[in-house]
Amino acid sequence: MKWLKLGKIFDPTEHSLPNNCAEFAQSPQTLVMSDRVRVYFSTRERDDVGKYLSHIAFVDFDKSMKNIINISNHTVIELGGLGCFDEHGIFPINVIRDGDRVLAYTTGWNRKVSVSADASIGLAISCDEGLTFQKYGKGPVLTASLNEPFLVADAYVAVYEGVYHMWYIYGTKWKKFVESDPPDRVYKIAHATSEDGISWHRDSRQIITNSLNDDECQALPTVFHRSGTYHMYFCYRQAHGFRTDSNSAYRLGYACSNDLIDWTRDDSKAGIDVSEDGWDSQMQCYPHTFESDGKVYMLYNGSEFGRFGFGLAVLDECGC
Amino acid sequence: MFKWEKLGKIFDPRDLKSESWMQEFAQSPSVLIFEKYVRVYFCSRPAPASDGQYLSFLSFIDLDRENLHRIVNVCSEPILSLGTYGTFDEFGTNPVSVIRNQDEVRVYYAGWTRCESVPFNAAIGLAISHDDGDSFTRLGEGPVLSFSPDEPYLLGSPRIREYDGKWYLWYVSGKDWLQTEGKPEPVYKIRMASSEDGINWIKFGKDIIENKLGENECQACPDVIFHDGKYHMFFSYRDSHNYKGKEGGYRIGYASSVDMINWNRCDEMAGMSVSENGWDSEMVNYPHVFMLDGETYMLYQGNEMGRSGIGLAKLDGAQNWSNQ
Repeated sequence: MKWLKLGKIFDPTEHSLPNNCAEFAQSPQTLVMSDRVRVYFSTRERDDVGKYLSHIAFVDFDKSMKNIINISNHTVIELGGLGCFDEHGIFPINVIRDGDRVLAYTTGWNRKVSVSADASIGLAISCDEGLTFQKYGKGPVLTASLNEPFLVADAYVAVYEGVYHMWYIYGTKWKKFVESDPPDRVYKIAHATSEDGISWHRDSRQIITNSLNDDECQALPTVFHRSGTYHMYFCYRQAHGFRTDSNSAYRLGYACSNDLIDWTRDDSKAGIDVSEDGWDSQMQCYPHTFESDGKVYMLYNGSEFGRFGFGLAVLDECGC
Repeated sequence: MFKWEKLGKIFDPRDLKSESWMQEFAQSPSVLIFEKYVRVYFCSRPAPASDGQYLSFLSFIDLDRENLHRIVNVCSEPILSLGTYGTFDEFGTNPVSVIRNQDEVRVYYAGWTRCESVPFNAAIGLAISHDDGDSFTRLGEGPVLSFSPDEPYLLGSPRIREYDGKWYLWYVSGKDWLQTEGKPEPVYKIRMASSEDGINWIKFGKDIIENKLGENECQACPDVIFHDGKYHMFFSYRDSHNYKGKEGGYRIGYASSVDMINWNRCDEMAGMSVSENGWDSEMVNYPHVFMLDGETYMLYQGNEMGRSGIGLAKLDGAQNWSNQ
């Protein structure tokens, strides 16, 4: 695979955002329309105890992906009420067209006591071309289960041959690497299928092999079909020290499959890596691939997990 | 109306003469019947931590089958450890329900976690014993029944049953967290799920017991027994506020059904109310009804949600259940 970087295309600090949000445009994900590409992202406000709340906003680009034509100035989706799985933030959101509707698979966050937070995947539905979303119930559609005990998150949904496929992550452990530090999380990529996009059947296994070590964290899978093969991008990092040490921080990984079940990981074929310097030199994370006007694009975040925005790349050569 | 003869308190961890990890509380009794004794599983607690918060563990006592007032064995340590960092049962396992499954014993329990905006959350776990119920190992680190779009939080009070080779779980699901002047207070309702294996569950997806105290009524512990062609449910209910004393505290309700889905609530039939004075004078709750050697018994917890122990009652033998 070979990608051409088109640079950073959106900086949240240069725009006015809804919900008192100032920084962060994380995990950009698209709804492709006839005249524009709507890019949803998670941005943050500080709440009254000084902690972050992630909210969803969007920016519309024209089809050249060069010009911004609109930015949401309203609440796209409400956070959950008291005690709900998505009370303290929605990050990220994955949208998919489903007939006249747009479905959104959200990752909702709620704060805990012994560990910082937990997450589950919710469903919300839009009947106005993705301007606003209404929740399908107060609870999640995918959450902790026997062998996926916490941190069920990062859904990416695609329909192939009438079956809904979801790639997502689940937590495997919270581990203390340094006694005086809070525990760090470890999570892995998994797959589930559904007939209706609501009730999911899990494969209940890790589908992407570890490359760093057993404690490798794998996040945000995104899948597209090209040249007869399914291609998956995701990000991965060390479980500890990833915020401060660039060598431990997120990188983009790659795997391919012919059957959507068995995946062969080979990060050396990803065809994209951190830059020598600049906005994506410290890390690359939260990739999202999409097709528009015959081209395959990738949106992703760079340094500081997207505090100052996201960038774009276009697929130049495709092979597995 | 059912006519119960109260036989008094049978166990209170505060009365233990020898050193025990159990400091107080004997909650949510559930029995497993052996040849010579009746094992009563329940939930008990060590002394609270310095911040006043409790952990709750699974425990048991064995009662002499010939004389249920005689305790012949007290479990020496919790039968299931708590979960690790970040798991659903890191801070407690309570309530509990046990069932035999061929040569294993299964325990379904609510696991407790602690949260920032609300005090806690719960989901239902499964642990299995291969030593006749002495010790248990959880089937997985996560819950066997967890949240869904219309059951957003607080899945608890499991009661496990098997009828005609099919598994049934009655449980409660959180409906709302009410903002109060103090801590938020939950509202929860009785629900049901069924399963072919006791592991993969299909939720029925509706509240099955109508409210009596209004929409903020809390319902718990749906204990079901089949007798004389009908399913009989004894459960607990209370108001969502001022429930820690006699006035708004838990009472025992009753409902019956011929199909396990449609239930007729008729609390007047339960026949089990608070005593004039003593250990169950403020509340009676978490009933568990079982049959033994031709008699029908109810175990239940008393005042302060079971801080003061478990008691026993016996049904008047002349009852005709089908008229209930």
